[in-house]
Parts: sequence; structure tokens; C-alpha cells
Amino acid sequence: MNAILHAQQLTKHYPGSIALDHVDFTANSGESIAIIGPSGSGKTTLLHCLAGILAPDAGAITLNTPSSPLRLDTLGDAALSRLRREEFGFVFQQGMLLPELTALENVALALMLNGTDRSTSESRAAEWLGALGLAGMEQRRLGELSGGQVQRVAIARAQVTGARVVFADEPTGALDSATSKEVLDVLLHSVAANGRTLLVVTHDPTVAARCQRVVELRDGRIVADSGSPSPAPPRLAPATANFKGAFNV
Amino acid sequence: MSSLSMALRLTPYLARSNGSSFRETGLRDAGLPILAFGTVTALLLTVAGGSQVFWSWSDDIASTYQALAVVAMVLLIIPLLTLGASAARLAARRRDDRLASLRLLGANSGTVVWMTVIESTVLAAVGALAGAGLYACTAPFLGLIQFRGQAIGSHAWLSVPSILGCVLAVCVLAAASAALGLRKVMVTPLGVRTRQTADGAHWVRGLIAAAVVVVGVVAMGMLSSFGAFIVIVAVMGGCFGLALLALNLMGPWILRLRALSQLKHAKRPEQLLAARTVLESPKESWRQVGGVAMTSFVGVFVGVGMAVADSMGTNGDTEATLLVRDINTGVMITLLGSFLMVACSAGVNQAAAVLDRASTLVALDRVGMPRKLMVAARVKAVMSPLFLVAGISAAAAAVLVLPLTGAALLTQPVVILTIGGVFAAGFLLVRLAVAAGTAQISQVLARPERYASMDS
Repeated sequence: MNAILHAQQLTKHYPGSIALDHVDFTANSGESIAIIGPSGSGKTTLLHCLAGILAPDAGAITLNTPSSPLRLDTLGDAALSRLRREEFGFVFQQGMLLPELTALENVALALMLNGTDRSTSESRAAEWLGALGLAGMEQRRLGELSGGQVQRVAIARAQVTGARVVFADEPTGALDSATSKEVLDVLLHSVAANGRTLLVVTHDPTVAARCQRVVELRDGRIVADSGSPSPAPPRLAPATANFKGAFNV
Repeated sequence: MSSLSMALRLTPYLARSNGSSFRETGLRDAGLPILAFGTVTALLLTVAGGSQVFWSWSDDIASTYQALAVVAMVLLIIPLLTLGASAARLAARRRDDRLASLRLLGANSGTVVWMTVIESTVLAAVGALAGAGLYACTAPFLGLIQFRGQAIGSHAWLSVPSILGCVLAVCVLAAASAALGLRKVMVTPLGVRTRQTADGAHWVRGLIAAAVVVVGVVAMGMLSSFGAFIVIVAVMGGCFGLALLALNLMGPWILRLRALSQLKHAKRPEQLLAARTVLESPKESWRQVGGVAMTSFVGVFVGVGMAVADSMGTNGDTEATLLVRDINTGVMITLLGSFLMVACSAGVNQAAAVLDRASTLVALDRVGMPRKLMVAARVKAVMSPLFLVAGISAAAAAVLVLPLTGAALLTQPVVILTIGGVFAAGFLLVRLAVAAGTAQISQVLARPERYASMDS
């Protein structure tokens, strides 16, 4: 497997505490990785550093792009913002979408921000929504969708741009267990079908168990790493197995 | 224990616990509503103080001044009430999260309603008292303004009972608005139920507004048949009020139509966001720019009024010369007050909107949305409706005054210059206020941990 994201000796302090303590971490292309640990262990800080949201106090973060390796820790705000738009996708606990936009517009906006024209953006967004089981709901506003459907919109937004790494922070944290399983299926299968790398921060052991690799943090250090995954694809849940082909959007 | 007594026990307790983190949440929870209520009260007292000067005279020409003062008050009172209602809504919606937590702990809806009313009223009282203080500081300067050739001096001072009456009125407005506002959102134990559909703005509003304008035009056309000057002035004041009412009815509907068209043709992200922001609540958008619509409306009347005064000539009549000069002074003060209300309303509303959406803005920043685009979308969401309503308001005013003055008057340079100046000043002031409000975006994004969970 090829390393897509590599962190070396990553260190981050907050007043009175150390969030990351000389962390070495590598994410390989196509992996789904769960980052687990108790509250305050540094897992969200690690995710934010790897995604270029937070600047580490020390250490290096390298993203291997098709052209050349890119050092995230040396980039300025504008370059990081562009990188997050073009290379990364994000799924947050509450979706964090724009409530005044329709489902279609929320997804298309990610493409429009990258300069894609509106018509093409909406067309590709509609394909993604359809593939994620939201066909016919494109024109609904977020308030008219269920929590699980909103998360599907967020999953579509995260990947519609062709992002090579998807970061998810407690993506099922606000959902009931049945919906949680459904959303996780959609997330894992869509990421795997498109050959993307997934990093999930979670408290939920059932979420972690569904990922190919589990990394555990405690007091800002990696205390366990299940290692690179077996080549077998993630298990398909019966309810969503028929989506597999559609995910190659 | 009754809902009221429970609310009376809980409200001070929550206020204390909130106070410890005032630096974190104070601006969002209390600062903006207090600022808004303070501004409303100071402007209300200033308008009332200025108006009472004219009722302290009892000579022959006093009635003319009194009639003109009524017209000025009609022009100012609607934007003032709009600003007051915005402040009250702002105070009420600050409490949503905490009230939902209380419901989770077992408080019934009666307790929640009482707590909302109490908290909004307390914020209004603090703001209103601060506003009264501001009025006391500015009143000596207001006293320097000259009418009938001499400074109005202490005549602009309101009595203490009058000041307390205004403070009480602001508190009652806040309490009523809080209680009515809660009827629209059901605070459940799992949070405030979000609105599932966008606010509408029905075409019937346009129809009613058109009917109101027709009544106004007919009344203005019949002015000469009313005989007595005081009656003519009263009819003119009534027509002004009707036109403002028509603008308020029609405004949200027009904004919605325009935003639908902009949404259809939007090519860039900020255009899409701005159009959707307006469509989310055309009434809210109107509340932000409606004041300038009034100012634009007044601006056309100012230009025409000055031209009328100019063309009348005074033939050496000192009293008439003073009257013309005083009309100009009154008009400028009215415009200044109107601009101030609009600027305050736009600034407070924008700052509140940014703080309300802080966690979403942080998330959008994280997914790579450029900050300048967030600002551009908000600016466009205010300025685009502003340009539209200002144009329509000016046109409505022109339609009303045409029967009185004739088209020739509109070609006079003084009219064009005055109207142009009024519009330019209004746009600039609102743009500055919006810039001040959207500056909150940079502050939110500079400290994202305050607004987004980074707990692990």
C-alpha cells in the first residue's frame, strides 16, 4: 500500500496540557482507519492536524499528491484552505451543512467553490445523492430530512470533489443505533468503492470494529495500532449491498 | 410550585452561572440585546424630546410646527418600532439552548415561557436604562439645535416620568415580543425545533400595498379640497404613514421575488448563498433593510419639500424665512435619525446572525470555504435587497408627490442632488454597519474552539 498521509513527531500543546506527544502516524491509500481513545486523548487534535485545520507546534505532516509530496506544516492559511477544498473531505457529527440550501445545493457548493460551473456541479451532486439513496430528495431543505439523511448529504459533499482523504469526526455520534449503522455502511462503502482513504474519530467501538485499521490514542500518544488492513473489503450490510456499484460516481 | 415562582427562582440562578463565562458568551447572550435596547431607547427619547419642543409653543404658527412634527414622527416611528422589535427578538432567541436544557431537566413549558419573558425584560430594562443615560448625555447637544431663530435648550429635556414611561414601554415591548416569539418555536427537551420550511411572503401583500398606494395617491390629489392648512398637513401625514405601511407590506414579497430570480441565475457560490439567505426569511431580510427603504422614501420627500419651500419664496417675511429654514433643519434631523436606526439595526442583526451561525461558519472554514466568500455572501444578502427596496421606495414616493408638485419639479438640480446625497449616505452607512457586523466572522474563526467541539 502507498502512504498518502504521513505525520512525523507530531506535537501539539494546549495551555496546561499536551494533546499530541511526538506522534508518528501513516495513513495508506484506500485504508479506513478508526482513531479511538478516551476524551482528552488527542484524537480530534490529531485529525485536525492531519487535515491542516490545526497547526502542530512541532513535527511534519506530508501529503503525497500525484505530482509531488506536500508539507502541510509549511503551508499558509490560504493554501491550507485550498488543500482542504480540493484534496480532503469532511463529515462532522452534526453534518454542519447550510440549512438554507437544499440537499443538492449543499453538495454542489463544494464543487462550485473549486470553480466548477453550477450546472455541472448540480449534475454531479445529483448523481452522488442518488447513489447514496437520496434520489428524489435533492430539492429538500435540511430541515425536511432526517438525521441519517443529513449525514448522507454530508458524505456526498465530502466526496463529490474527488477528495482523496475523507476525515470524519464522530459521524454517527448524533444518531440512533439503527441509523448509525446505515450511515456508517454508506460512508465505508462509498469511500472504499472510490478508493479513498478514511480517517474516523470515534468513541463508538462498533464504528471502530467496522474499519480496516484501529489506532488508539491515550494522553497524546499512540498506544495501539492494529496495523495495515487485510486486502478484504469491508463487510457489506444487506440493506445497502445494492449500493455498491452506484458508489463509483 | 407555580410556573412563575419556579421561573423567578431559576432565572437569577442561571444568570449567575452565565456571568462566570460572560467573556466567552456575554456578547452573544446579553451584550447585543442590551446594545440594541439601549439604542432604541436613546433614539425614542431623542425623538420624543425633540417633538415636545413644538408643543411648548402656543402662538399662531405653532400649529404648523406641530403638524410638521407629527409628519416627522410618523416617518421615524415605524423604523424605530422595527428596530425595537428586532432587539426584542434578539433577546428572546439568545435563550434557546439553555431553555432546551431546562426542559430536559423537567421544567414545564410555562416555566420556560416565564423565564424567557423575565430574561428578555431584564435585558431590555438594563439596555433601556443605559439608553436613558445616553439620552441624558446627548440632550445638552440637542439643545443647541435652533428652531425659530433660537436654540431649543432645555425644552428638549423630557421629564423624569416621561423618561421612565419610555423605559417601561421598551420593557413591555420586549416582554410581549418574547412571549409571542415563543409561540412560534416549541422548546422541546431535545432542543428548539427547527423550522422545516422557509418563511413565505404571499403575493396578497403586494395587492394590499398597491391598494394602499392608490388610496394615498387619490388623497394627495384631493389635497386642495380639504381647505384648512392643518387638515391638509394631517392628510399628508396620513398619506406618508399609509405609504410606509404599504412599503412594509410589499417589501418581503418583492424581496422574495427578486431572490428567486437571483437564485435561478446564480453562477458563483456567494450569489447562491446570498439568494438563499434572503429566501430563508424574506421578512427578516426586509427588517434589515426596511429602514433604508423608509429613508429613501423620506429622501424623495425631502428633495421635493426643499424645492417647494425654495419656490414659494418668503418676500422678506421673517416668520416664513424661519419656517423654511426650520423645515430644512427638521428634515435633516429626521433623516439623520432614520439613518442611525437603519445602521444600528443592520449592524446588530448582522453580528447576531454571525454569532448564531458560528459553529457552521467554523465548519465551513474547515472544509475550505474562503473567509472572503463568507463575508461576500452576507454583504450581498443585505446590499442587494437594499438597492432594490431603495429604488422602489423612491419610486413610490415620487408617485405620491407627483400630483402635488408636477413632473417639472423633479428636474430641479436641488431635488436630484438632495435625493442622490440621501441615497449615497444611506448606502454608505449601512455598508459600514454590515462591515462592522461581519467583522465578527474573523473573530469567530480566530477562536474556533469557542464555537466548535475540540474535546478530545
